[in-house]
Order: sequence, then structure tokens, then C-alpha cells
Amino acid sequence: MIKRLSPYSTVILLVLVMLLFSSLSDGFLNGRNFMNILIQVSGLAIVAAGMTLVLITAGIDLSVGSIMFLAGVVSGKIVVGGAPLWLALPIALLVGVAVGWVNGIAVVRFKIVPFIVTLATLYMGRGFGLYISETRAVNLPESFLAIGTFKLLGIPLPIVIMVLVLVVLHLVLTKTTFGRQLYAIGNDKRKSVKAGIPVNKLLIKVYLISGLCAAIGGFVAIAQLGAISPSFGNQSEFMAIAAAVLGGTSLFGGKGGIFPGTFIGALLIQTIQNGLVIINADPYLYPLITASLIFVIVLIDSREKFGSHV
Amino acid sequence: MLKLHHIGKSFGPVEVLKDITLEVKTGETLGLVGENGAGKSTMMNILGGIFAPTTGKIEFNGQAFEPVEVSESQQSGIAFIHQELNLFPNLSIKENLFISAFPKKQGFFNTIIDQKSLSSQASALLAEVGLSVSPSTLIGKLTNGQQQLVEIAKALNGRPKLIIFDEPTTALSQQETDRLLQLINSLKEKHISMIFISHNLDEVKSIADHIAVIRDGALIRMQEAEIYSKKEIIRDMVGRDLDQFFPIRSTHPTESVSLEIQDLNADGKNDLSFSIREKEVLGLYGLVGAGRSEMARGLYGMEKLYGGQVRWKGAQMHKLTPQNWIRHGVVYLTEDRREEGILAFKSIRKNVQLAALPRFIQRFGGWLDYRSIKREVSSKVKATRVKYQDLEIQPVSELSGGNQQKVLLSRWLMTNPSLLILDEPTKGIDIGAREEIYQLINQLVEQGSCVLLISSEIEELLGMCDRIMVMNQGALTAEFNRSEFDQSAILKHALKAAHD
Amino acid sequence: MTIVDNIRTYLVKNPIVGVCLLYYLLMALMVPGFFSANNSWNLVYNFIPLLILAVGQTFVILTAGIDLSITSIIAVSSVVGGYLMSSDVGLVDGSKWSMLLGIGGMLSVGVIIGLINGISVAKLKMPAFMVTLTSLMFFSGFAIWITQSQNIYNLPALLVDAPYHSFLGLPLPVYLAVLVFTSCYLLLNKTLLGEWVYAVGTNIKTSWISGINIPLTLVSVYVISGVCASLASLIYTARLETGSPVMGQNVLLDVIGAVIIGGTSLFGGRGKLQWTAAGALLMTMLDNSLNLVGMSFFLIMMVKGAIILLTALYNQLGSKSLTHA
Repeated sequence: MIKRLSPYSTVILLVLVMLLFSSLSDGFLNGRNFMNILIQVSGLAIVAAGMTLVLITAGIDLSVGSIMFLAGVVSGKIVVGGAPLWLALPIALLVGVAVGWVNGIAVVRFKIVPFIVTLATLYMGRGFGLYISETRAVNLPESFLAIGTFKLLGIPLPIVIMVLVLVVLHLVLTKTTFGRQLYAIGNDKRKSVKAGIPVNKLLIKVYLISGLCAAIGGFVAIAQLGAISPSFGNQSEFMAIAAAVLGGTSLFGGKGGIFPGTFIGALLIQTIQNGLVIINADPYLYPLITASLIFVIVLIDSREKFGSHV
Repeated sequence: MLKLHHIGKSFGPVEVLKDITLEVKTGETLGLVGENGAGKSTMMNILGGIFAPTTGKIEFNGQAFEPVEVSESQQSGIAFIHQELNLFPNLSIKENLFISAFPKKQGFFNTIIDQKSLSSQASALLAEVGLSVSPSTLIGKLTNGQQQLVEIAKALNGRPKLIIFDEPTTALSQQETDRLLQLINSLKEKHISMIFISHNLDEVKSIADHIAVIRDGALIRMQEAEIYSKKEIIRDMVGRDLDQFFPIRSTHPTESVSLEIQDLNADGKNDLSFSIREKEVLGLYGLVGAGRSEMARGLYGMEKLYGGQVRWKGAQMHKLTPQNWIRHGVVYLTEDRREEGILAFKSIRKNVQLAALPRFIQRFGGWLDYRSIKREVSSKVKATRVKYQDLEIQPVSELSGGNQQKVLLSRWLMTNPSLLILDEPTKGIDIGAREEIYQLINQLVEQGSCVLLISSEIEELLGMCDRIMVMNQGALTAEFNRSEFDQSAILKHALKAAHD
Repeated sequence: MTIVDNIRTYLVKNPIVGVCLLYYLLMALMVPGFFSANNSWNLVYNFIPLLILAVGQTFVILTAGIDLSITSIIAVSSVVGGYLMSSDVGLVDGSKWSMLLGIGGMLSVGVIIGLINGISVAKLKMPAFMVTLTSLMFFSGFAIWITQSQNIYNLPALLVDAPYHSFLGLPLPVYLAVLVFTSCYLLLNKTLLGEWVYAVGTNIKTSWISGINIPLTLVSVYVISGVCASLASLIYTARLETGSPVMGQNVLLDVIGAVIIGGTSLFGGRGKLQWTAAGALLMTMLDNSLNLVGMSFFLIMMVKGAIILLTALYNQLGSKSLTHA
């Protein structure tokens, strides 16, 4: 009964999707396109990695899309306003941490359900971001775009950042006291308190990490786009949750992980998008296909989980 | 080792503990018994640092002891083993053992868990409690008994001077219980003091040096276990003699068969066949894990069935779901009251009406007839003698275990059942309420129902049943009529194959 | 007990109603134009679709589920209604029959998507959050794809005028709202299904053992939510005079916010339609009054977020003091 959901159905699906696209187009299966997919997925994967930690504690963070937007707008405005470029990243991170802190405090101190807390900060973050940007797109200077195309030892910077964030969080989850205790909290909060786990402290940290990841992920995505539209990050929270769930992380807590889990989930979503672009599919069809695939994966997982009726 | 001096505790005007003075010596085991609500848990919560006593002093290990936090009580050397285990099924044994303080590797700010040392320390603890499984096994894969041992290993890790066991054997099979009691005996030799709380007086008598009985918050008597007879203990617990503990029924089973089961397969291996007659109480005995509940739950439509034919009052039953069974007058009282019995924060009325609602749909308009519902609910809770304050407002979770069980019985009585499948109906229920439940069963049977009584307590079955079937490793191994009842023969059949 | 006592106990048990009244009085006194007839109608028109949506959502949340797909139901309903009624598309010309067909078509959309959600949750045992999330993505995408992101204009005059058409002094949408709320109220509080909804949300295992038809209950709540979304879409479509594939995109958070502000528990089993109505009214008044004082919509968003947080906090403290009493 207590079975760790394997992300293997997602891996199989990823392979099938890749086979399908490579049979439909020559342009799909090559090193350059694969590198492209990795660059495109970096933002989502980072946000989803932070989300994974929250989901493992049986929480949820709906505010990540707004954090991506707000962090981008704040740092973008500051750079546009003449501040040096190097200041952009720490400012963005600060915004992420601040919203994450609010989430954590509200969940822990005021004991409000995470869904409600982060729904509220979703509203507030987006509202504040729109206020600062005056609901116009923020066009970023060329130097900002350079971050997105910069290469470190031949590897594009977005990929480097993604690998760094994911590897660190993976190690944290699997190798540290903090990580292991998150699984205990997700399984049963009351028991965790009894077992002497500092549940409140840990939960605040988890929402901080999720906010931080959202800010980093948003920053990485913006550096590729060159501008922040007023709808940037809209529904990103849903994509991040979908990536984590596709990778075998349970919405009910206590189960999941980043490698291969969430990374494969995010990769699947991005590969489909990329493949559809390459075979010149009707862009309006993308969400339909992505949604159908997510539905199938969730269906397969529920089949595995439930044998009996209740 | 531990001394309580005139301990009293009040919640507002309610006095739950009155002037309790007792002592546990080093290496000694105290058996603590009392009905639910007698004050045992309050006493334990005071020792655990959850409440402070209103009056009196505690002395532990030669020093005044005033814990204000759970961790403080733990650090001074008191460990608790609760009936409800504090383990995480999604983590491994070793992770569970050290969840609050993992051994760390040097470097990396000392954040990385030292897996090697974790495994070796865990193995050592497991050896101490005699559990021979890999420390990397997930807790969820262990049996209840094995989990209990892990819990004790966890407690031993803190090198406790006093271990308090609160109903530790409720979820264990007979074998597992025996093993646990053995382990407790070996702990005595290590000069660890223990307090052992249990409803099972045989266990308490076999393990304790002294037995203390608490009733209504006061210590009634504390005496050496050897000279404190079971009868005296019960009298002290209840405050009166319980001569006719199992009331006598005025009726006998008729010849007409109510339920007939053929080749029912609930575990994929064994085919079970049996029948129940009208006005019969059929007992089903077996160790925990013998497949009794699985059979009943499969029959009732809560777990998977692999095959079988079921006839109810002569007609073939096709759809085995609770909904369909209830329509035919067959109901199942669950063993797991909290998880699948009560609607915890709903009123008593909402809990009682639940299963019988379709009966109250008015022919005109399809509305529910709430006036009749309320009338019938209050008559049923009177019949089952639920003690309550308000049917409409009081949430059922505020009632004691025994009263919750009576609420669930009232729920089933509302459906006018002809067969009641009762799964451990008196588990964790105090003696007074128990007697009332037995009387209720008899009333129902006298009125023409039949009962399938599943129990781990052989005395209960001997006292209540017309016939007893024994289940062992998923198969029905023996059957005894009332005239042939023989405790040792029944036990032998329940245990036999398990030892092979 | 005097009437004052009665009112006091009612307000203690239903705090959101008091908050609503208080807010209305404050705004009427402080914000010029709030109390005017014109603005009052504005309030009513904005309140009605939100109320209908939130009532449907309450059913789902009471079973411990959630329906994120309502905005996609609004969009698909609007598009389908547009196709069936618009004289541009001309599937059926703009006669009375096309109106009936259009409304029927819109409601069928709610029923069908509700069935898909309900069956996935009840029979396939998928988590409600993920099911309705994929529904949201799929059907929003579907509405945009099928119209290629184009609006559908030239709806029949009968439909477009209907919201402003009065009967006995009240515009038609008011009757629709009263009809929806009353029938949902009766369904939830006076029938077997209503009792089952609360029971399933409180403890699904207990419900199954007690013979409750869980699949029927769950499918019903998602269909109710779907139909409510279609009805809201009908009002939006008529008022905007277009069939739009992006209609209702921003309403989801208002709907869930209204239910939460009302005090219905996301864990299921606890909540009332009256609370939801008050929550929806408060959301509408917030929008309206802050607009009147000249606040921009993004500031209003922030305020709404803060209000959701504050009422959740208030409900949290309230439930605590109740358990300690």
C-alpha cells in the first residue's frame, strides 16, 4: 500500500513522445534541439523543484507565478531605471524570499491553510507587480538578454543555473536531516511535532525556498525573453505543480523527489511544446495536447495507487 | 525511582485526578488499570509534560520533577509507547529511529547524514529489541508487531529510566503480544522501570509487579499483582461486582438460514463457506491477521473479493456493496471507529441518521422528513443508552469511545438490520459500556436478528455466541457448537498452523 | 429570547454576514455614489454571476474537492452558445428557436464537462485538483482553438436585451439568481443528496460503509458546478453581446475567494450556501467600492488578496475560540 510512486510511467511517456516527434520531423532529434529544450525548460524546472519541496510537506504554493512576475518586474524596473545590472539578481531573489516568508509565516504562525495563503499572495503579488509596471510590458536592456545567452564552459548559463539548483535541492532532500524530516512532516504533521521535529521552522524554510526558486526561475525565463509582459508567470503555478505531479510527487504529501521525478515531469511538458513547434502544429493545439498527456499520467498514477474501492 | 505525592488535577471546576500517591521502584513494573475516563491518560499527560498538576509533587530519580514540555520529560529519562505509533510509514526504519537527530558527517557545515553510522546504530538498536529485518526497510512494509518493536527501539535509544506503555498490545496478534511481553521482561533485567496500561487484565497480571486501579480520578487500590485477583480488580474498576457479565438470551437459533456463503475468497487463496441462522450469534475467532476482518470486509464490499456465492434469505446476492447490503438489512460495525466509523465533527443526530436516510424520503417532492428523523434518532440513542448533552449541537468526537460505539450501533439500529456483522465491537471500551453492548446484542437477537461477532477475546465469544468458528491464516479451521465450547481447543485451532 | 438576542446569535454563528452588512453601511456612508440607484444596479449585475458560480463551487468544496475548470466551462459555453445563436455563423438563424437551442447547448456544455470531472474523480479516483486543472487547460485551449481566438458577434437581440428586461420591476437575471440559489439551498439542506454531500466531505470511508452512493454524490456536485458555470456564462455572454473564448478568465480566484471568505472549509464537510452568498457579495462590493474611490484594478487585486488572508485568519481564530469554549 505504501508505495513510492515511480516516475517511470513518465519516463516511458517521455521516450514515446520523443520517438513520435523524431519520426514526424528530422529537426527534432539532434543535439542542438535537445540543448534548446534544456534551455527552455530551465525556468519551469527550477520553479517546479521548489514546488516539489512544498508538495512533499503536503502544502501547496500557488503564488509562484506571481513571484516570478513580481521579482522580474521589480528587478527589471530597477535596471531600466539605471541601477547596475549585477543588482538585478539579488533584488529578484529578495522579492522571492520576502513573499515566501509571508507565505511561511501565515501558514505556520497563523495556521491558515497553504492553499488560501498562497492564493491570497498570488493576488497580492500580481497586483503589486501590475502596479509597479503600470500594466505595461517592461522592456529589458540588451545586457539583460546577455545573461540568457551567456555560456559557462560552453554550457548556456540557464542550464548551469538549473543543474545547480536541482542538484542542490536533490541532495538536500535525500541526504540531509532537513530533507528527510520534510517527508515525515508531509506524512503526518502531528506525529512530526511529537517526534521532536521543528515543524514550524522547517515549513517556513520550505516556503522561503519555494519563493526563492520562483524568483530564480522567473529570472532565468526573463533573461531569455527580453521583456516582461503583464501576463508573465500567469498559471505558471499550475505548470509547476503539473511537472512535480508528473514526476511522481503526491499532492497529499510525503512522497516525491527532484531526480528523476520533477525534472522528468518538467522535461516532458517542455519536450511536447518544443516538438509541436518543430512539426508546425497549430499553436492553439498546444494546451490541448499538454493537458491530455497530464491527464493520462495522473490517471495511470491513480490506477496504480488504488486497488480497492475506498 | 518515580514518586507521586498527592497529585490532583482540575480542569475548571471538573476534578479529574484526586490526591493520587504512588511509587514505582527501579526495575519495577506497575500495571495501571481503570475504565476509560478514569484519569489514566491525564496522569500520563502530567508525566509527559503536557499538563501541570494542580496540586501535589512528583519526584523522579530522586529529584523534583516538573516538566513543562514533552522534550523535557524525554530528556529526564521518561519514554512513552502509545497505542498509536509515532512512526512514518513513508520512511525507513533507520530514518524513523533517528528522525529528530540524525548522525552527521564532518564537513559541509555538518549537514550531510552519515549513512554508515546511521545503519550501524540502527542495527544495534534493532538487535536489542530482537527485530531481525534490514534497517533500510520502509516502516509501511512491517507488521503492527514489528512496528511496535521499532517504537520501543526508538525509546531505548534515549536510554530511558522509565518506559510508559499505553495499551501497546491492542493492534498486535497473540504471537506478537507474547514477544512484546518477553521483551518487557528482558527490559526489567536492565533495571528499567515501567508503567503498563492495558484493558487486558491477563496481560497486566502476567507482566506487572504491582497493580494500581484508578476509578473516577482516585487511586482505589495498589497491591502486588500476585495476590490481586482478576475478580477483585474488576470490582475495584467498576465499583461493583459483575456477576452476570454476559447476559443470557431467552431465545435460541431457529432452523431457517439467513446468510449462506459458499467459496467466498477474500485473500486470493482460501475459499470459505459457512452460514448463519436466524436468531443466531455466530462467533469468529482468530488471531489478528488471520483474515477475519478481510473476510467480513470483502463480503460487505469494502475490499476486493476474488470469488464466491452469497445467498441472503434464500436469494442470490449479486452486488456486494454496503449500499445494497444495507437495503437488504445487513450492516457492518467497523473495528476502526475513528477512521471509518464516526463523522467526527458532526452532531450526534447527523451521525445516527446517516445510513437510514433513504427511508425518510417523502413521497411528495423527495424532501427528507426531518421531524421523523429526529424523533427516531432520539428514540434509538435512548435504546442504546448513549450519554450525551445535546443531539443537535454536540459533536460526536466529544463523546467517550464507548458512547461513540453506541452512537454507531444506533446508526445501524435505525436501518432495522436483520444481520449485524460486528468487528471487535468492544475493543478499547470500558467494562460498563461493554455490558450494555452485550445486552443490546441479545435484545436484537431476541427480536429476530442474527449476529456475526468477530473478536479476539475468547471469553467474549464463549459468553455471547451460539456457535464459534475459528479462522487461521485465511482458512476456517474449526467450528464449535455451544455445547462443545472448549477454550483450549479453540485456542489450539487458532494457533496451530502458525507454529508449523 | 428577544429579537436582538436572535440577531446576535445569528451573527456569531454567521460572522461573514455581519462583515458584509458592516461593509455595506460603511461604504454607503463614506463613498459618494455607492448608495445611488445606478450603482446599486451595478452591484446587483456584478453580484449575480459570481453568486451563481460560487454556489456551484461550494457544493464541490463541501465534498473536499475543488473545481478549477469553471472558467473553461464559461468560455466553452459562451463559444457554443455563440455558434448556435449568432446570425453570423448561421447554424440556425436568429429565431426564437435558436435561442432555446443556444441556451440548451450552453447548459449541455456544463453538464458534459461536469460529468467528465465528476467521473474522473469518482470512478477513476483521480485527485480533484489535477482533474479540474487539466480540464481547465484543455477546455480553455479548446475554446480558443475552435474559434481560432476570434469573438462571435451578432447574437440575437432577444438574448442581448434579456438582462435588462424587467418582470414585475426586477430584471430577469435577478430571477435567475433567486431560482438558482433557492433550488441549490433546498437541494443541500432538505434532500438526501445534500446530507450525502456533507457526509462525503466529512469522511468518505464512513460514508461508503454507511451505504452512501459516493460516485453519484461526487458526479452530482461537479455537474452542479458545471451547470452553474454555464448559467453564469449565459449572463456574461448576453451582457457582453459576444461569444468569447477567453470569457471569465479572471473570475476563478474571485469565486474560490468568495467561498473561502464565506468560511466554507477546503477540507470538506463544513460550510453553508448563505456564507458563500455573503462572501460573493463582499467580493463584489470590494470591487465596486474600490473602483468608485478610483483605485486601479491591480490595487483592488492586492486588497482582495489581503481580505482573503484576513478572513481566513479570522475564521481560524474563531474556530479556535469555539473549540476552547
